[in-house]
Amino acid sequence: MAVVAARRLLRPERRWFSQTEPAGPSPASGPLYPPVVASITAKSKAAQQRRLERFKQQVHEAATVEEKLRLYGKLQRPKYMVYPQTFALNADRWYRSFTNTVFVPGVPPGALSAGAAPEAGGAPGAGAPGTTTTSGTAISPEPAAGPLPPLDMGELRSLACDALLQESFYQNKKRPFLYRDQEHTPGPFLTQLVSTLAAFLSGRNPLLAASSLDLKPEVNYYWHHGEEVVAHGHRKGRVDPVRFQIDDKPHLQIRVPKQLPEVVPLDSNLGDVPVINHKPSKLPLFKKQYENKVYIGSKVADPCCYGHTQFHLIPDRLKRERLIKARLEDQIEVVYRSNGIASLFAWTAAQAMYQGFWSEADVTRPFVSQAVVTDGQYFAFFCYQLNTLALTAETIKNNPRKNICWGTESKPLYDVVEDGNVKDFNDEVLLNLVRFLLNRPKEL
Amino acid sequence: YPLFQRGGPQLRIFRPNFFMLAVRPGVPQPEDTVQFRVSMEMTKVDIRNYLERIYNVPVAAVRTRIQYGANNKRNHKNQREKKPDYKVAYVQLGQGQTFQFPNLFPEKEQDTETGSFDDFRNKYVEKEKQKQEGDPRRGGVPDWFGL
Repeated sequence: MAVVAARRLLRPERRWFSQTEPAGPSPASGPLYPPVVASITAKSKAAQQRRLERFKQQVHEAATVEEKLRLYGKLQRPKYMVYPQTFALNADRWYRSFTNTVFVPGVPPGALSAGAAPEAGGAPGAGAPGTTTTSGTAISPEPAAGPLPPLDMGELRSLACDALLQESFYQNKKRPFLYRDQEHTPGPFLTQLVSTLAAFLSGRNPLLAASSLDLKPEVNYYWHHGEEVVAHGHRKGRVDPVRFQIDDKPHLQIRVPKQLPEVVPLDSNLGDVPVINHKPSKLPLFKKQYENKVYIGSKVADPCCYGHTQFHLIPDRLKRERLIKARLEDQIEVVYRSNGIASLFAWTAAQAMYQGFWSEADVTRPFVSQAVVTDGQYFAFFCYQLNTLALTAETIKNNPRKNICWGTESKPLYDVVEDGNVKDFNDEVLLNLVRFLLNRPKEL
Repeated sequence: YPLFQRGGPQLRIFRPNFFMLAVRPGVPQPEDTVQFRVSMEMTKVDIRNYLERIYNVPVAAVRTRIQYGANNKRNHKNQREKKPDYKVAYVQLGQGQTFQFPNLFPEKEQDTETGSFDDFRNKYVEKEKQKQEGDPRRGGVPDWFGL
């Protein structure tokens, strides 16, 4: 404006007047107009993209992890409820496709043998029952005195047999109520076995000494995977991500303050993920709308924010005898596998979200957890490595990483309990259990 | 018929209207799932027994639902015409078997000969002759010869 006024004054002068004209607006002050971007509120694909980007930016810039989780699960829509313990046939194949998991039969290589080797930690006598508290307070182990003696199988066997006999033989219990067999004997036996073994081994494994044992905790996880077109309702015709929620209640859970070591490198390819082109409702899987919860068993501020081992008890309706009676023998292993895969995926993914990772900010280090699925007599061991959280339709396109689950078949720990004797005790299963409990990071 | 009491002789047999009709699924189903329209009075247990005992088909799981037939169409008298309700059963086969609903109306390959009106005429004349002839099992004997 000042320029124009100056020019009007200058115009009556003669042209040869050698005053330089004042320059225009200096280019260093920036462009005149704001950037041309799509609208935020319009009904267009570009506006939809811009709203998505704004949401992602909001989550990226959230100050705390609680705020991130709150924003991540703010929008509630109907979602598929994935049950780890399900009667659906061939559920483990469907669950592997939902969670982008490769299943490798057998125990993970190398990870278990390191735990059994005696290492300096403390006297085995410090592991008297009751040292592992349930409130998660750390118990500092005694200073290292030297290499420990090798594990005494006899002592471990006697511990396990004691727990078993106490629950099933010595204790006078009334007949279990209908369909409550599992919580009558195998449930308390599992709790007792795990707590005594963990207390016994906490002398060898300082991680166990600093761990927190949860009884019947809740584990929840919410994620998107794939896309579908909305069929009914006022949102008909729109393309929506397929939403899943796992709400799991393991029987027991051990949480530790330090991450378990990775089993294989982050980008390893050990197999293929099954591709299923049908809708998840054909499994059958059902939709409901409720709170989108992400929870590992304790809140974010808890120091024990990484997972070590979960223990699952198979419910009455999925017991071996019932499946054999219904002539579904091949589904027995499927029950164990689907439980292991779904529960461990939910736990490891929730742990990763507690560290601030999510589907747009993928994990930079693998998260490893273990699980034991049992029905009281038969035990199956699983180890899960979470390599990627990016399962949404656009993030999975260029994602070569896959999650990996190692799992064994179910093997019996004992045959029968008769007259105060446990017949055919299987030492291998107990050894596997002990190795799982002794698993710890290399530094410790 | 005398009133039946427990322990007495069974003098009457009731035959329920149990039928099963295999249909092509409207939406794609997994490979081990077969879709049936069944009688409204059949339960999941009935369906399983029906398939296992009569047809020796191993059944792993059965899920049923009732499809409501619409009542919106109107006839020439403006009365509502109800389409009948029916029950749909989704049967998952056991022992790893799979089922794909077959294509009941495959397209026949018509080898179209270019031109040659004579061929068409010859074919037509042959067809006419075959219609005129009698049963080939009679060996050429005319059909007025007989009882």
